[in-house]
Amino acid sequence: MVLRKSGLAAAVLLACSPAAFSDDLNINGFMNVTAGNLSTEDISLDGYDDGVSFDVGTVVGLQMSKQVNDTTSATVQLISRGSDNYSTEASWAYVTYAANENTDIRMGRLRTPFFYYSDFLEVGYAYNWVRPPSIVYRLDAFSSISGVDVTHRFAIGGMDGSIQAYTGRYNDDFTLSGDTYHIELRRAAGLVFSLNSGDFGARLSYHQADLTLDVDPTGGRALDNLAAGGALAGVGDEFTADEDKAKFYQASVSYDNGSTAVIAEWTALDQTTALLNDDSAYLISAAQRFGDATVHLTYTVAEDDLESGVVGQVQKNAESKENSIILGMRYDYDSSTAFKVDIQQHDEELVNGAKGESGLLYNVGMSLVF
Amino acid sequence: MNMFKVISRLAIAMTFFVTALANAEVAVIVSASNANSALDQDTISRVFLGKTSNFPDGSQAIPVDQNEGSASREAFNDKVLGKSSSQLKAYWSRLIFTGKGTPPKESGSDADIKNLVAKNPNLIGYVDSSVVDSSVKVVFKF
Repeated sequence: MVLRKSGLAAAVLLACSPAAFSDDLNINGFMNVTAGNLSTEDISLDGYDDGVSFDVGTVVGLQMSKQVNDTTSATVQLISRGSDNYSTEASWAYVTYAANENTDIRMGRLRTPFFYYSDFLEVGYAYNWVRPPSIVYRLDAFSSISGVDVTHRFAIGGMDGSIQAYTGRYNDDFTLSGDTYHIELRRAAGLVFSLNSGDFGARLSYHQADLTLDVDPTGGRALDNLAAGGALAGVGDEFTADEDKAKFYQASVSYDNGSTAVIAEWTALDQTTALLNDDSAYLISAAQRFGDATVHLTYTVAEDDLESGVVGQVQKNAESKENSIILGMRYDYDSSTAFKVDIQQHDEELVNGAKGESGLLYNVGMSLVF
Repeated sequence: MNMFKVISRLAIAMTFFVTALANAEVAVIVSASNANSALDQDTISRVFLGKTSNFPDGSQAIPVDQNEGSASREAFNDKVLGKSSSQLKAYWSRLIFTGKGTPPKESGSDADIKNLVAKNPNLIGYVDSSVVDSSVKVVFKF
């Protein structure tokens, strides 16, 4: 990535120059420092183990935006993640063109708007959990995409709404259960529709892409072995991914009156290739604010949905079904710092087709914005 | 000084503080040259939350905030926007980091805001009623 270290150096230079004090250069940042500990290594969750770890949940982000002229602005968000050895990358780097008062066109590297929390996925201050429940928020590898999007805002009656359409592509390595694959998403496109009325909100989105994976039945990685299993069973053609359509659906409803907040979000993946199982996952979460403290409770479930027949029999080797209950508390220390404690009871009903274990994940963290 | 005295003094001090807050009247103001005469709470709240960037007559509306910690700002957030400062920060952090909006600029105290608003018909701000003069127009009071 071009923007890696040199990008951060440029950011620091920019921040120290007199331009940083001019009216139209905005610098904002956020930071999450989180410690986590699993009660048992019989489960795997968010990269934690049974020793205390800080790196997994520690993220620093720095955003600079500059209004270039009346209609055009440039934004770059540099993120450094503990889970990625604190190397810096640009999750966002785009130019916004305001076509009119209610329509923005953005070009560059954008956050893929899969989920309700996608836009501010790593800005811990913006939500109550230490991080959004990962069994629903499971497309981390593709959380940024290079392309173009158009957002149109509108108001009808007492309601505010927006429609966002994007298209782009993604091409990189991604890691699944310790194995690294090369993945390409071509002709990625999606549509997001959201509506807010007073304390109520709803969001619907649809996404699709042509997926290519470098799976090789003799490669020895988990998906390679699955492909080999498919070939043995005589359905090898199903266990390849060469521009195979992948679809993702999302729907959420939310309510927040300032002291009580509820959100329910449902998502589903529908793959053409048999290499990756179709699945559905949802979460239901409620939060109650008591002054500066907010207590929240979440129930979340993810379940694979196998193909029928022989293909399904092979897929069973990778079948997963899990659920979590998260109880947490957020304390707003001041208007830009929040302390958080989450306890997650995670139950792996099925892992790779076999009965799994359950355990607890403890997280303590701090989120800042500046 | 024993504990009881400390507590009772604290209680008295608190009572004064709360009374002072309750008595201060805050006015939402625009420049005297702004064509809009009165605005309702919903419109003001939409402007300050970045949901609209226009006054009812169609002209551009740019909200300006007082600096963090000012009494007028606390009262405005609480009574007009109905949100605590932490809730507002969380609201804006959802927009800032997506390029979907920027919070009103922090532009000083009651007197600073009045002077700024007086000079620019596109600005809208809020000040303690005591600083209001003929250079600005009160569009809402609470």
